[in-house]
Amino acid sequence: MAPTADSVASPPTPAAENDLQPFFVLHKAAPPRKPTGKTRRRIDLSPKKADAKEKDNVQVLDDNFRFESFNLRWCKIDCTIRNVLREINARVFEEIDRWVRESFDAIRACGVPNLARATRPHPIFNGAATSASRQLFTAILLTKNVEFVDDVLTFADLGVHLRSCGCHVAQLTSLDFSAKNGVGGCLKTLLRQFLTVGIDAPDISILASWYTEQGNYESPLVVIIDDVQRCCGSVLADLIIMLREWVIKIPIILIVGVATLDALRNTLPSNALQCLSPCGFTLGTPTERMDAVVEAVLLKHYHGFSIGKQVTTFLRNFFLRHDGTLTSFIRALKIAMVQHLLVEPVSFALEGLINEEDTKSFGGENTLLREAMIKRCLDLPSYQRPSRSNRNGDIWDCGLSELKRFRKLWVCVAMCLFEVGKNHKITLLDLYCEMLEPEKLNSRTSRHFELEKDDHSLFGGLQKGDFVHQIIQIVRDLPAMELCKLLKSWEILTRGITEINEKVKELQSLTTFDENRPRRDLTETSKRHTAKSNINVKRDGTTMKEKVATFVDCTIRQYMRPIESIPFNEIVFFDNVDKLRTALIGDPRRRIQADLLESHKFLKCSCCSKNGSMPSPSMHDTSILYTLTQEHGDLINLHDWFQSFKSIISHPGLKAKQRLRMSPSPKKRKGSKEPRNRSDASIQAEFCRAVTELQITGLIRMPSKRRPDYLQRVAFGL
Amino acid sequence: MLIFNVLLQELRDAYANLEPKHEREINDLMNSYKKSYPEWVFILRCGFGLLMYGFGSKKFLIEDFASSALTDYSVVVINGYLQQIHLKQVVITLAELLWDQLKMHGKTTWENVPKNQQPFNTKSMDDLIAFLDGPHLEDKECFVCVVVHNIDGPGLRDSDTQQYLARIAACSHIRVVASIDHVNAPLLWDKKMVHTQFNWYWLHVPTFAPYNIEGTFFPLVLAHSGSAQTVKTASIVLQSLTPNAQSVFKVVAEHQLAHPNEEGMPLNNLYTICRERFLHLKSLYRRSANRNFLLHLLLKARSTGYLSTDDCSIIVESQNSGSGGPNFVLDMMRWRQY
Repeated sequence: MAPTADSVASPPTPAAENDLQPFFVLHKAAPPRKPTGKTRRRIDLSPKKADAKEKDNVQVLDDNFRFESFNLRWCKIDCTIRNVLREINARVFEEIDRWVRESFDAIRACGVPNLARATRPHPIFNGAATSASRQLFTAILLTKNVEFVDDVLTFADLGVHLRSCGCHVAQLTSLDFSAKNGVGGCLKTLLRQFLTVGIDAPDISILASWYTEQGNYESPLVVIIDDVQRCCGSVLADLIIMLREWVIKIPIILIVGVATLDALRNTLPSNALQCLSPCGFTLGTPTERMDAVVEAVLLKHYHGFSIGKQVTTFLRNFFLRHDGTLTSFIRALKIAMVQHLLVEPVSFALEGLINEEDTKSFGGENTLLREAMIKRCLDLPSYQRPSRSNRNGDIWDCGLSELKRFRKLWVCVAMCLFEVGKNHKITLLDLYCEMLEPEKLNSRTSRHFELEKDDHSLFGGLQKGDFVHQIIQIVRDLPAMELCKLLKSWEILTRGITEINEKVKELQSLTTFDENRPRRDLTETSKRHTAKSNINVKRDGTTMKEKVATFVDCTIRQYMRPIESIPFNEIVFFDNVDKLRTALIGDPRRRIQADLLESHKFLKCSCCSKNGSMPSPSMHDTSILYTLTQEHGDLINLHDWFQSFKSIISHPGLKAKQRLRMSPSPKKRKGSKEPRNRSDASIQAEFCRAVTELQITGLIRMPSKRRPDYLQRVAFGL
Repeated sequence: MLIFNVLLQELRDAYANLEPKHEREINDLMNSYKKSYPEWVFILRCGFGLLMYGFGSKKFLIEDFASSALTDYSVVVINGYLQQIHLKQVVITLAELLWDQLKMHGKTTWENVPKNQQPFNTKSMDDLIAFLDGPHLEDKECFVCVVVHNIDGPGLRDSDTQQYLARIAACSHIRVVASIDHVNAPLLWDKKMVHTQFNWYWLHVPTFAPYNIEGTFFPLVLAHSGSAQTVKTASIVLQSLTPNAQSVFKVVAEHQLAHPNEEGMPLNNLYTICRERFLHLKSLYRRSANRNFLLHLLLKARSTGYLSTDDCSIIVESQNSGSGGPNFVLDMMRWRQY
């Protein structure tokens, strides 16, 4: 690939020529193909482990079919997520819109300049100097989120909302406020967005004349700056001071996003701060948003795709401990869906699963496809269990409908539990993770339940993370009125699931009965004033709560079955956490080192794998060198390193290495005469190439001028 | 000194003729990735960018993937391992390719495209990016693929370039396939870039292939004398120059060939010839004063005492004797038809 010295002497090949071009066109797009049966790519439906014979028999599907399925599903999920987030922000957006109108009215109250004054290329300084003419109305939108990436969509939605309310909106990012471009840079962006044309010499008077020419004095100009903390303070201050001067001619209203309340104070100098007339607004917390998204995507709305316990736990931990952004969670869901469609071809063929009402749709009208799907379904591991001996039964009735039913029940129970937990700081994601481990759940709840009956005081301190148990405890401690409300909401949630709904109704009737009785008792109590009746009331209430708690426990045990036990669960649930983690995070620092230290695992050669991780002369040069690096500290003596490398390359075995270790100091060795021959040069060249490759990977740094004999090791440990 | 030079030359010869180890296994490894090509295409179609990492040069792998599996889309390759890359030129090319592709599809909703389309090379970067991001087609399948070798390479490593790359990657009609080699490459991007713009799908694809072209710019650790430059390095530098600068080099090279016994070309002569040929020398010399890589790599300017007659000479040393110095410069230029 690289031009060698020889190739320089002769005209280079196109590939070599391209290697030295900063960029080149590899090829242009082929003309669009008309979809014909012959040109369609065929993909294998069989699992990896299926033998060749079965592989030949399996049916094939079109790539486009998979892609269409992805588009269909992801569009629905994306739409659901956007709607959920919009609903969360709707109240704040309305408040902001109202405030914008009030602010605009306040500016207009200072007087509307006539056309002659308005078109002059300088600002108007109002002699009356009301607060509106001296200050810039600024909405400070508290995001409560250090990770700004989650709010990008929020600010975009806010822009859309304000535009729909008749405002002119421009959205700036922190990149527009760079010291390099100065205030001209952000002004350019402003003009570009308001005027919708690019202007080379930006000037605020252009905006003023545009606003006047538009004759649109009824609409305020709103400038949204999404992340003030990352803006260059001096540039932002310049812009604020300038806009303040022009505020009568151009009624600009600022909306700035901040993560903390003191962000503006930290970013802006005092003279700019004095120009602002602030008003605070607050967005929902990341946890609230996460719960809303999980509820909508994984529970309420069904898109024919869900995630298993390992993936959910990984995503929860990733959200809580590592990344902390809803954006990465959504991205992870998307990656999981892509991987699921790739790994499990049946999943995209069963369109009926997306539509919960449709129980018969099975890959559309295509009979061939239907047969292929059934064949593949029969091969799924979850259907291959010994209990599933009746392979001739109706696959849809015995399998897929059961899967749907399981999911419905599971979601119903989950929603009921979350109804209790959401008012007690239990997040849905935590609960969701726990509910996906029914083995632990059942053993734990039953154990706790038994103990609970015996001794109430034992559970004064709840186990951290034991959310289902916490919920049972909460139910037990709920006041009678709250319990009634809870049962009412459960009744609504369980509609359509007869078996659970009837039980809830039964409990409701008991509660009504109990509710009436205490009242009667209380009346009696007021008359009799006996301590005995008080005890009775308490006992009745406790019995009721016990009954509800028992109901929760039984429901969990009955309906929260392990996903793995459900036939065809692979069609819906994706749980390959390793695959997802690799695609989502990458981790090149660890992986590249692991590649070098375990090169034989990738190259699969017989010669290197014999010695395990011990360096052998047949190993890849860079692998040898990096393995040797592990013996050094942060500084590596070039000579020592080369000698070690040379000893391995030319004298394989441990003895040589030991001899080298026992040899005198580098200075003395330098003086020793070694026979120079052709192989020496090639060893040196191999060494040089390996060092260069380590340098490219960033695992070592070259010698400094101060210490020319030493290289610096950069990475330590995997 | 002579012995040192001989040894150095011997080392360079050996370096140029190094035989790859495990060639068959590396080929097998590369071939093993071929079965994943359809998956990678599907991931691209779903809107992700592919980021390939793992030890070994991924240049061949990615280009093979692009050549064999991305034939439905135009593909532009950026060689990030080079020292200087003009991103604006790349974006202009992308816009032109997209324009061609849109014309080919013939289903455009031409709302955002004016009939008298302004040439792309006169448009600003913002306009070009807006064009790439425009909703020209309802079909999400119309995109141009950008292959970036070493997106963490020296030519692309600065923050501004990465921001531009991220903006390009976020465009609806662009998909990016990139490779990284440095273990700390993710530090180049913030979460907004990773999650919403590049939208990376990480692929671990160690190839163990030698970093032939990527390693060209790195000096050999055992020949770290500093002054000696290789023909390979020089050829890359020369090709990244403007035509004006290349012509100036040509003048120096011609003079050096015509006067082999002289130590260099007097600067006033160079000025005169450049003026005759309408070549602009001042900017070239100023670059040198700014310690730009250019003259440090290829030219040596000397001051000889009182008279201040600076001489320029070409100091390229070849990896194999006979193809270095002025001859090499002329050869390079002849190929490029300057």
